[in-house]
Amino acid sequence: MASRREFLQLALAASAVPLAARGVLAAPAGWADESTAPTPLYAVVFDERYPASRAFAGEAKRLGLSTRGIGGDVTRLWFDDLDRRWRQEPAAIAGLTTYGALFCLDVLARDYGMRTRFRADHYLDRAAGRVEHVMAGPAALLRDADTLMRGQAAWGRGLARVVTRHPASPAPATRLTLVARAEHTGEDPAHLVSWVISPWGPPAWAAGGGPESSLVGERAKF
Amino acid sequence: MPPLPPGVTAQQFSNALREFGSAVGPEWVLSTDEDIRTYRDAFSPFWEEAEEPIPSAAVGPNTVEQVQQVVRIANKYRIPLWAVSTGRNLGYGGAAPLNSGTIVLDLKRMNRVLEVSEENAYALVEPGVSFFDLYRDIQERGLKLMLDLPQPGWGSVMGHALDRGVGQGPYEDRFGAHCGMEVVLPSGEVMRTGMGAVPGAKSWQHNPYGFGPFVDGMFAQSNFGVVTKMGFHLLPEPEALRLVTVTAPRRDDVVPFVNTVGYLKNAGICPASFGIRSPRNDTGYWSASLKFYGPLKVIDAQWEHAQEKFSAIAGVRFQEDALYRFPLSPDAIDGIPNKNVLGIPDLAAFGQGFVRDGRPHGYGHYFFAPIIPMTGEAMLEAQDVFEQAFKQLELPGRGPVGFTGWQRRSLISLISLPVEHDTGKAQKNREAFRGLMRIAGEHGWGVYRAPVVFMPDAMEVYSYNNHALRRFHETVKDALDPNGILAPGKCGIWPRRLREAREARA
Repeated sequence: MASRREFLQLALAASAVPLAARGVLAAPAGWADESTAPTPLYAVVFDERYPASRAFAGEAKRLGLSTRGIGGDVTRLWFDDLDRRWRQEPAAIAGLTTYGALFCLDVLARDYGMRTRFRADHYLDRAAGRVEHVMAGPAALLRDADTLMRGQAAWGRGLARVVTRHPASPAPATRLTLVARAEHTGEDPAHLVSWVISPWGPPAWAAGGGPESSLVGERAKF
Repeated sequence: MPPLPPGVTAQQFSNALREFGSAVGPEWVLSTDEDIRTYRDAFSPFWEEAEEPIPSAAVGPNTVEQVQQVVRIANKYRIPLWAVSTGRNLGYGGAAPLNSGTIVLDLKRMNRVLEVSEENAYALVEPGVSFFDLYRDIQERGLKLMLDLPQPGWGSVMGHALDRGVGQGPYEDRFGAHCGMEVVLPSGEVMRTGMGAVPGAKSWQHNPYGFGPFVDGMFAQSNFGVVTKMGFHLLPEPEALRLVTVTAPRRDDVVPFVNTVGYLKNAGICPASFGIRSPRNDTGYWSASLKFYGPLKVIDAQWEHAQEKFSAIAGVRFQEDALYRFPLSPDAIDGIPNKNVLGIPDLAAFGQGFVRDGRPHGYGHYFFAPIIPMTGEAMLEAQDVFEQAFKQLELPGRGPVGFTGWQRRSLISLISLPVEHDTGKAQKNREAFRGLMRIAGEHGWGVYRAPVVFMPDAMEVYSYNNHALRRFHETVKDALDPNGILAPGKCGIWPRRLREAREARA
């Protein structure tokens, strides 16, 4: 498996084709393609401070999902909502937040047998007015991302449609990098991350096993 | 495939896992690659290098009896165990052990709040109880009690105290505020300390000492036993909290400035932890952030007295930052930036850039934490020494600008080094970290705590009289844990059979 550095170099090498999709990396041979049944999302988390994240939440809401706004800190969301919900049973969530928020939720979710199954890092280059999406997740989902986000400046809305299609059944992670023009370059931060955290294994503390790892623990392997 | 414990064959390891499964339930023996990944230190200074400690498996008991069985099985196979409560002390090692192949004894399932007394303001908890758990218990029962919290607040009440972490409230020294322990010894025997040694004890959490030697300290930052219950004194909810900032204009003000802070602390007028910063500019060379907890009339008088004392320094300025009245409404809590000082656990630090994954430093940090005397002279010396050390070790910046009160009469200068995933940069930072510890030691300062992978290096500094202290620790270790199964090497304390590992590291 390529290291994160190697992967970024790969992406850099492909940047000779500007503002274009760089293609979905194929799943390893022998893996069955994942089911198309989507993961039921308990909540979609967004950071109220950032336009891309608000657009993401707006589209999620339009799609009928329940949204939760944070201001960077996930404490209230965790303490008043998710912890209570997850004590009953694991429930998938998705979001477009800072990395700090994902880091906390990923660590907390692990105790309930959940892992980060889709992750996309969104790197905003203000000077160039473009955004780079470095994504890892199930192959079918990344094909959807390629379709929904290719060349989209309003990428937050497309991303909301992507996470709602995250498959419920486990699948190996593959990689995709897209580059597009960006809007709100003056208000969005240089780095945001979108993600899906979903159940895996028995609904209990530290449950695990299987072919796919948490993409937060694996961040160095991008 | 996870690494095997040293000196243990694959067959022996497999047999041991089966026996652990019989003790705790096979679903609580975790040994796949995916399982093990969750026990890596997310902030490891050795991330993905050959030296990164990777456990062989994790075992999750739910009761003290199961802990006893696990310890006995580990003795049978001479498999090392590394106990963690929640494993979230990021910056100091997380859940990862010191040595690859060690089995993590994960106590997270033991998460029961066993007793909370409002009348005597104490709690008795198991290792897996987080600050969030205890806070929720207190809130749901409507008890007028306050927690003394670290930041962030997702760690274990017990684990944080056993690492001698400091809270931001009036008790500050959280290990010092504990009262009574239950410990599974390396033999598998259960012992209770203090008044808890009396069968049917009625004052276990009321008096810490009991009768005879006070042994509780032997189980903090050590590898002499697995603590399975621990009592803590809590703070009765105060009427109010006042936050203030005092500023002194000149570098030379430091001696009377720190002396005044120390007097206020040691006289019990302002006992809570505090911070002193030096922006090193003309807008106010020194500033101290102080907290006053108590009845409003009392803290008004304390603040007035503090201002009188500080007024001996020409040009000193006072600023009242906030006044909070308890109980706080949920709406009021929402708008407060640092909730920890109010006894409300939070994760806000992560939302403020505590963890960054942008470029170039997105992989966390680890802490260098030397203890210095609470005097102005010591602060100036530390600033000068570490400024030179930063130059010598080619670290960015000028060294520490901030100091924090740490227990009663000392300060800490908390310096974080970034975790790097580039091997060359990571190696440079590790060498710098060891260099900082060495330089601190040459000036008579030791660290109060160290990231797990640097624990043996930290103990090297505590070398008075040819390491008499470490030799004492290891004499105790050999007596209590002859098979060396509990956390070998933790805090630089190695069992006899593995001491050559220390020599090899040296």
